[in-house]
Amino acid sequence: MLDKRKIRLMTRAAIYDKTYGEEDMKITGYYQKDYISLNVWITLIWMTVGYGLTAALLFVGCGESLVEGITIARMLIIAAVVLGIYLSLVIIYAIGAGSFYKKRHMQAKQRMKKYMRDLSKMEKINHKKEKNRS
Amino acid sequence: MSTLLVWRDKLQTIYAEYSIYILKALQFLAGLIVFGLINANIGFMEQASSVLCTAGLAVICTFFPMTIMALAATLLILVHFYAVSMPIAVVSLVIFFLMYIFYFRFTPKKAWIVLLSAVAFGLKAPFVIPAVFGLLGTPVWIVPAAFGIMSYYMADLVKDSSAALKSADAENMADVLISYTRQVFTNKEMWLMIAAAVIGILVVHLVRTRSVDHAWKIGSAAGAAVSVIIASAGSIALDLDISFAVILVSAVLGIAVGLVLEFFFFSVDYSRSENIQFEDDEYYYYVKAVPKVGVAAPEKEVKRITGERPGRRKNDKKPEEEQPDKLNEEKTDEILLTRSLSKELGIDQEKDKTE
Repeated sequence: MLDKRKIRLMTRAAIYDKTYGEEDMKITGYYQKDYISLNVWITLIWMTVGYGLTAALLFVGCGESLVEGITIARMLIIAAVVLGIYLSLVIIYAIGAGSFYKKRHMQAKQRMKKYMRDLSKMEKINHKKEKNRS
Repeated sequence: MSTLLVWRDKLQTIYAEYSIYILKALQFLAGLIVFGLINANIGFMEQASSVLCTAGLAVICTFFPMTIMALAATLLILVHFYAVSMPIAVVSLVIFFLMYIFYFRFTPKKAWIVLLSAVAFGLKAPFVIPAVFGLLGTPVWIVPAAFGIMSYYMADLVKDSSAALKSADAENMADVLISYTRQVFTNKEMWLMIAAAVIGILVVHLVRTRSVDHAWKIGSAAGAAVSVIIASAGSIALDLDISFAVILVSAVLGIAVGLVLEFFFFSVDYSRSENIQFEDDEYYYYVKAVPKVGVAAPEKEVKRITGERPGRRKNDKKPEEEQPDKLNEEKTDEILLTRSLSKELGIDQEKDKTE
């Protein structure tokens, strides 16, 4: 006979498997601290690449007027501004990425917990059935 | 109003039943619009701008997530740009890459928002964006909205100066690269529209999340008004050529879309809202409870007033529990039959007359 409770549990587990399963498995494979620090570093590397590209594009577009009649003092000011913006972006992205990946890890862990609980419930149901049969 | 609510409920039921097909159909339609708009406006490469390519891409993207559609649209734009001039394609590729680095790496599933805002600008309805994004999204949606507007203006720029760009020879490549980059970053109209849309979205979201009555209506109207003011004032101050008709019509359209969205996603009855105040050891609570409006779709009940039901055999024995019900049913049937017969024969009327 069909067991409605088991069907419900199996459906929920299958939906989880389909939507989050693979990704959550990867995320929860790391300790929270490791996951966050790894991803913050990756984000900062990407951010540096992006900043470099943006600076290059801006230089291509507006570099002529910047370079025109440039003095050492002006060059130093430009360098300081570029560095200042970079450092502030690094801080903003590090904080933002840190909280983003922390939240993601926590959510994945909670979902995984629920999934495991469903699996153990299913196992119990199966055991019960086997006992009844024997 | 109740008829509309019944229709909404029916639509919801239909959606719940056939959501897979409806979503796929909508995705196909979105694909047709996105690729159609790209090919109609910047279809510089003939092979890629054919109807077959548009329909083919739309069909392919129907079976994949929306992220793939955004990626395909980006590639199609780059292909057309490459047909005009290589430096333009390179600069655009770098800009798209920057969009990925700074935002889509975190939420690739939100890539469709970029498509939506670019399509809204392509269809000359820019101020529908503040209403839709502000009502249904979060303040973070300003980032993909801005990227969408940027993509639209990049394409618009190439469309407007395609003849000059095409004629540039190999020696002028560097000049094309510099002038295109400068034009993209110093496009006043683009920055103005980004500012109008972003502030509009934030205003709509801010009002929508307040606990005032009719927050959704006020929000979409306020967002539209703010966007119109910023766009018009900016257009005058910066001496730009933005059509006021487009601004006003799209703002009105934005308000209308806001009303439709409110009807579907936030249908409440403010006249029955209640303000409750209570406290516990740590806090005082001021709660406003607004009841949802919902009308259940009337169910059609078919009563048989003729004799036997189809599929029932004469010799079938009924269980004893069903006997009283059966008797009642038979009585009801008889009464109904008698009434209908008397009506048809006009016996009731004759009775009334004699009385």
